[in-house]
Amino acid sequence: MLKLYDYELSGNCYKVRLLLSFLAIPYEQEMIDFYPGKQHKSPEFRQINPLGQLPVIDDNGLVLRDAQALLVYLASKYDESGKWYPRDNPDLLGQISQWLAFADAITGTASAARLHDALFYAHIDVVKARAAAHELFRTLDEHLFFAEEGGQDWICPGDHPTIADIACFPYIILSEEGGIARIDYPAIRRWCDRFKRIPGFVVMSGVFPAGPAADDRAKVAVPGQ
Amino acid sequence: MMSDLQSNWYPIASSSDLPRRHVYQTQLLGREFAVWRADDGYVNVWENRCLHRGVRLSIGINNGTDLKCQYHGWRYANRTAGCTYIPAHPADAPARTICNNTYPAQEAHGLVWAGETAVGAVPELPGFEDATVLRAIPLNAPMDLAARMLLGYSWEDGCKGQANADGSVTVTAADGTAVRVFLQPMDSNHSVMRGLINRPASGKERAALLRRHSWLMQELRDRIESRAAAQDAPAPYQPVIAKVSDDLVDIPALGAAALRAELRVQVARRELTAEGIVSLRLEPVTGKLPTFQPGAHIDVHLPNGQVRQYSITNGPGETGHYTIGVKREPDGRGGSIAIHDTVQEGDVLAISAPRNNFPLRRDSTHTIFVAGGIGVTPLISMARAMNAQGLSFEFHYFVQSDDHVAFRQHLGEFERALVIHKGLSPDATGATLKEVLAEPGFARHVYICGPGRMLEAARDIAAAQGWTDETVHFEYFANTVEVDDSTAFEIDLARSALTLQVPAGKTILEVLRDNGIDIPSSCEQGACGTCRCGVIKGDVIHQDVCLTNAEKAEGKSIITCVSRAASERLILDI
Repeated sequence: MLKLYDYELSGNCYKVRLLLSFLAIPYEQEMIDFYPGKQHKSPEFRQINPLGQLPVIDDNGLVLRDAQALLVYLASKYDESGKWYPRDNPDLLGQISQWLAFADAITGTASAARLHDALFYAHIDVVKARAAAHELFRTLDEHLFFAEEGGQDWICPGDHPTIADIACFPYIILSEEGGIARIDYPAIRRWCDRFKRIPGFVVMSGVFPAGPAADDRAKVAVPGQ
Repeated sequence: MMSDLQSNWYPIASSSDLPRRHVYQTQLLGREFAVWRADDGYVNVWENRCLHRGVRLSIGINNGTDLKCQYHGWRYANRTAGCTYIPAHPADAPARTICNNTYPAQEAHGLVWAGETAVGAVPELPGFEDATVLRAIPLNAPMDLAARMLLGYSWEDGCKGQANADGSVTVTAADGTAVRVFLQPMDSNHSVMRGLINRPASGKERAALLRRHSWLMQELRDRIESRAAAQDAPAPYQPVIAKVSDDLVDIPALGAAALRAELRVQVARRELTAEGIVSLRLEPVTGKLPTFQPGAHIDVHLPNGQVRQYSITNGPGETGHYTIGVKREPDGRGGSIAIHDTVQEGDVLAISAPRNNFPLRRDSTHTIFVAGGIGVTPLISMARAMNAQGLSFEFHYFVQSDDHVAFRQHLGEFERALVIHKGLSPDATGATLKEVLAEPGFARHVYICGPGRMLEAARDIAAAQGWTDETVHFEYFANTVEVDDSTAFEIDLARSALTLQVPAGKTILEVLRDNGIDIPSSCEQGACGTCRCGVIKGDVIHQDVCLTNAEKAEGKSIITCVSRAASERLILDI
């Protein structure tokens, strides 16, 4: 069975849990004591991932690291619909890769600020990290505003979310734990609602579920009708 | 200075920022708002804070009719922001005074406008009647600096900026194209530029127009921000946390001896909902109606001087009106005839705030509603609330015939739980009730409302089949007891340190009022329970129909409008 080396509070591990849940893939977890035990930096774990980072998967002996790489691998291998990572659509693949790199930049800024505030990573320059995260959020908010204008719900074109949405979501929704408010990003906040309504969505600590969309309720009383 | 700003209207969102089932977050003059559109289109602008533990409501859930806090699930109603449900106390209705702060809001020109103390209309914008709303651009700079630098906003040669009296800026190009930009002061050093362009646009043209101005305004934003960064940041605004509005916290003054009719409503719609039953949709003449709870009733003051009680049939979140159902009773005392024959659409009526003597427990595992005829009205409101929450219930509605089924559109909301029993004889009704009430059990509850005889039969059947008093809830329309007021006795008021004499022909309630002691009342005939009061010592002759048999036997409560002392003296907890 697929094994995920996991840590509950890690947004990067959450990306993998989200995709596994969306695809309904059974897996086992091996919990790594990231904080305070720093087990991911232990000699034992470095034999699994020399970079000493989470997440890592072991899929019948194939050991892979890096959240974005895992999304690409898992979607390519297990998503029969081909919608999360459409291998036969180069235009879309190019855009997905672009936003996967963007997601990595979010990790480098918003996640760093969160590590500073929540997990006591005192060496991180939190002011700089927050400012850089806001720059990225401004870019994404504008992108999502014009996506909505064009009738597009997700980061990349099409009527289905892709792994680009999964890669961007965790450290955006957790950004307030790093002191990065989302009050200036209404388009991002609406996209977060839509993301939470994807069938199979799961939460983690600090992430709350959305209510049902308007269409999900058959009988809504509308006064005057 | 602060108060001037607070009385202004500011745009705080684009209309498109408020899709259904979303909660938008923003800030005005330092105060955070949770802003949400209900399914009926109403835009709610609330303090962004749950009254319970202070968690932001902007991370809450917009249910379409109410907003649910993520933390402990408190629910606040559309329009009033009154708390309608507290999951930790499912058996109790929240007090009407639990109500979040709401702020004036209007939607115009494709923007949502708000102001802490704003009144009147939002600004008219001549020349921008068919405008396109541009993408809003937030920036870290004071509003005044942004307004000054906006004068230099330009999308082609020859653009001229002009400051308007309301603080906005209009930039006009040589061809007459104009952009008007309003500033939303989120905080002293944090603003939003909200622009309108004076022409409609659609399709590709619209996309290009929005992109171009988004880009240009972001460039301007960067210039304004570098200017702002070079100067000292002003001190943040310190918004005063406003008190809850007076009409919701007001405790009526002592000594007012009459039934209160503090609200004025207009009959917005009057229709025949079933044979002999009219429904009246009552909307406030001004302001908002207080939050109601399922099972609540209002006193309606009628044109003929009578006062009658009617249950609210509304579903959860229907806070813009109260809808009641009135059955014509040709042999009644005239109240229903006054409504049927004289009350018309457009009429203004005086009503009381809602009172709930028939509270709904929401901690049951299963609930059985038994409605007879017009007794359906409070139970409809209860069932609609339970249905919206996905709680388990069944609804038995006893009527003479199909034509007597009232409020069909609301019954349709919970069709699967609905059983309509038509044209049954009293014996057949009894047999059916035996089946319906066959299974008492842990956390199972029954709510009964209907004509006196049916109600008594249902209570007897329930008791005979093992339902305890605490699980059988009922509300009579009228007292079925013949009231005897021929006795005289003394009452001691323990808290007020007064002793009063109640003579024959007067009620305890009347004597209390004659002596300046006010307690709330409603039906004043022993049916509704509003004037209930605690008994510390003495025996009571109960002549009401609202206390349960167990409560009557216990002797700790008295309904002061009808019941009297069996002993010479009663000590009351007043």
